[in-house]
Amino acid sequence: MDIQLLFSGVIFGLSLASIYFLISIGLSLCFGLMRIISLDQLLYYSIGAYITYSVVTVSNNFWLGIIAGVMVGGLVAFIVERLIFRRIYERELTFSMITSFGILLGGIGIIKAIWGVIPRPIKPPFANQIDLLGTDVPAYRILVIAIAGLVYIGIWLFLNKTIIGKAIRAGIEDMNHVEGLGINASRLFTITFVLAGALSALGGGLYAPLIMVDPSMGLEILAFVFMVVIIGGLGSIKGTLISSIIVGQVVSIGSLIYAPLAIMAPFAMMLIILLIKPTGLYGNKLNK
Amino acid sequence: MTNSFSSLEVIQLNAAYGESKVLFDINFKVFPNEIVACVGRNGSGKTTLLKSISGFIKLSSGEVNIPNHNLVGLHPFQIAQLGIKYVPQDKKVFSDLTVRENLELGSYASKDYNWEPVFNYFPKLKLLLDRKAGFLSGGERQMLMIGRAILGAPKLLLIDEPTEGLAPSIVTHLRHVFTELSKKTSIVIVEQNLPLICALANRVYAIREGRIVAELTTPDEITPNVCEPYL
Amino acid sequence: MLNAWRWWRGIIIAFSLVAIGRLFLPLPFVNEVLIFSIYTIGCNFLLGRVGFISFGQPAYLAIGAYGTAFYLFYFGTNPYIGILAGVTAGFIFALIVAPLFVRLRSDYFALVNLALAVIIFYMMQKVLVKITKGDNGLWFLTNITSTPILDLTKPSDFFIFALLIAIVLWAFYKYVDGTIFGACCLATKINETKFQFLGYSNFRIRLMAFVIANTSTALAGCLYAVYLGSVSPEITSPSRTADPIVVTILGGVGTLFGPLVGTIAYTGLRDVISKMIGNWELFIGFILVFIMLTNSSGLYGGAENALNKWLEKARVSNLNKKKPK
Repeated sequence: MDIQLLFSGVIFGLSLASIYFLISIGLSLCFGLMRIISLDQLLYYSIGAYITYSVVTVSNNFWLGIIAGVMVGGLVAFIVERLIFRRIYERELTFSMITSFGILLGGIGIIKAIWGVIPRPIKPPFANQIDLLGTDVPAYRILVIAIAGLVYIGIWLFLNKTIIGKAIRAGIEDMNHVEGLGINASRLFTITFVLAGALSALGGGLYAPLIMVDPSMGLEILAFVFMVVIIGGLGSIKGTLISSIIVGQVVSIGSLIYAPLAIMAPFAMMLIILLIKPTGLYGNKLNK
Repeated sequence: MTNSFSSLEVIQLNAAYGESKVLFDINFKVFPNEIVACVGRNGSGKTTLLKSISGFIKLSSGEVNIPNHNLVGLHPFQIAQLGIKYVPQDKKVFSDLTVRENLELGSYASKDYNWEPVFNYFPKLKLLLDRKAGFLSGGERQMLMIGRAILGAPKLLLIDEPTEGLAPSIVTHLRHVFTELSKKTSIVIVEQNLPLICALANRVYAIREGRIVAELTTPDEITPNVCEPYL
Repeated sequence: MLNAWRWWRGIIIAFSLVAIGRLFLPLPFVNEVLIFSIYTIGCNFLLGRVGFISFGQPAYLAIGAYGTAFYLFYFGTNPYIGILAGVTAGFIFALIVAPLFVRLRSDYFALVNLALAVIIFYMMQKVLVKITKGDNGLWFLTNITSTPILDLTKPSDFFIFALLIAIVLWAFYKYVDGTIFGACCLATKINETKFQFLGYSNFRIRLMAFVIANTSTALAGCLYAVYLGSVSPEITSPSRTADPIVVTILGGVGTLFGPLVGTIAYTGLRDVISKMIGNWELFIGFILVFIMLTNSSGLYGGAENALNKWLEKARVSNLNKKKPK
């Protein structure tokens, strides 16, 4: 295969991985700390995209749109956490799955009501190509990858160098002990949930110029995000990063070779990994 | 609210796991600066009692009072903030965090950043500060758990089977620590180790099948011979 | 004799009501209700008895539907054999994926099934387009022969057939529920460690339950195929993945007639709501969250509970009346 084509496929895959990563961290953290499956993260992803779209349409400033998207996404996540998830933390996993799916569907309905069903395009902030290793790659995709990289570093610093981050890591191990020390558990949960929502919204805003913004965008990406999360193992940040990169590459390079591979290959990979390790690459057994 | 004489008062406490009742009409008192022991067979409800007091298990009925506060219905972290610290029997620390970070969490919660008292009781912890807690031995973990719990000068420590599985030298060390601690803090200790209890405790409650069946208050009574039948 | 009547009572009453409904309601509606509730009862069994939720029921529906479609398009004309072919395909498929899927934790199970549904959709739409004709679908209504006694090409005859299938299926599930196997399924849901300690194999019970549930789902697919006379990938589109779950919750998880009541409510509401509000997702999302948060047992479950409470009250007051003063 043409080296240049392969290289741009790699870049494409990494930009996909960046978006998957931003949504998947939220899912992973929410599971690790609160033992819930938060399918509604896909809603905050959609909200991030739509708010970015609206702000860009009005102000023509893409970065203002992103900031607005992140803030609104985080805000909606906050409201949902306080109103709904707060009541269901102690229940079994299927409970949060169904409830969060209901929130996702309801949210899609609200999006439809406000923005209508027609897909909408957003122009990327800059359309240049830059020359990387002899290939022309869209500069915007490189930026997306860079931002995701910064987010990873930021999350790492947060979890390892701040006291709240350490409390979250401790809570992922054993929430009862954290409470027993006197740390406010519900505040910890809210912080984590809002962080997850904000990151998902960031993913949506960044991805919006690369695809069309439409009400079911959350559902379309759902299967891929979940393959990432399952392969990486729910609850592991490192696992999420690695499996995002893997799935991103498989989808991208796969579609270069033979289009249907884009979806078959990650699925086959997921099944094989699950056969060997039913909790994913870095996943842990559920210990409640 | 209690009268100002007792540190903790439990009145007619009933607790259940779902449908199955575990504790029946427990009445229990702790006075300042004393060590109260709870003895009983496995499954008699000792751990459930400690968990009920510290808020991890909801009461079916009854009262749990400390001076100026009624603990029933509070979240565990709120009860911990009021100065009641529960040290569970699972010898679990945050294994991915270092000893230092474990203590930092204790300090963050209690706003007490003075670790000197902790190192006075457990000098070994000072040497282990940068080790990941997952690599500590059982005795070292127990020390870390207690060290973490005493940050913030708690008024009451609820300690669940601390010496289980530990070497005798460490058990002796812990006995000295508890004796010292009781000068500032009341302690409720659940234990199967009778000699230890009889050396430490000012009073002993015996629990069988969820009920208090005896309260031993004099040194003559607090001997292994008297306690043994309750195990 | 009395015991047999008691056992059959619920099923006979329920389906008699459906049969009577046939006289008042449009035929397409009752046919849709029958097939959809057959689709849902598998999901209901998995969630209510085994504790597994699957976001991928459309996958098994599609296997059954396409199994029947392939037979009727390429090979033969007898609809009964077509249905048999589809059910067999569904059974074999479920048997193949079961050993892997059933080992998974409940959340992974749900999501792996979702991915499966997306894969099957994609396969039918693009990968196997040569044999499935992709989005155009397979059309074979004219292929189906009229069979003696019941001509399945006629919706009115189809209704009778579907009704009989439903009665048999409901009786089957009711029977299973009463067996040791049924109790085992519930046990694995409630406390799998204890179940293991009793000497049972969680894995084997779940495997059997999975195959049963998804074979009946495939059966629904076969019925759709024969009823519509055509099959297209739309039947397994990811946007339809929520349908069985919503209906299960709406009707009442783990209840025998929940799927039936839930389907009637869902299908009926769908037409009404679409005309009035036009925003179907908002309505469904709200219903789901409401039901989960209020811990309700769904339409049928709630009705069953209310009825039981009322009967209990009546019995207690009767006892009190009989007490000597």
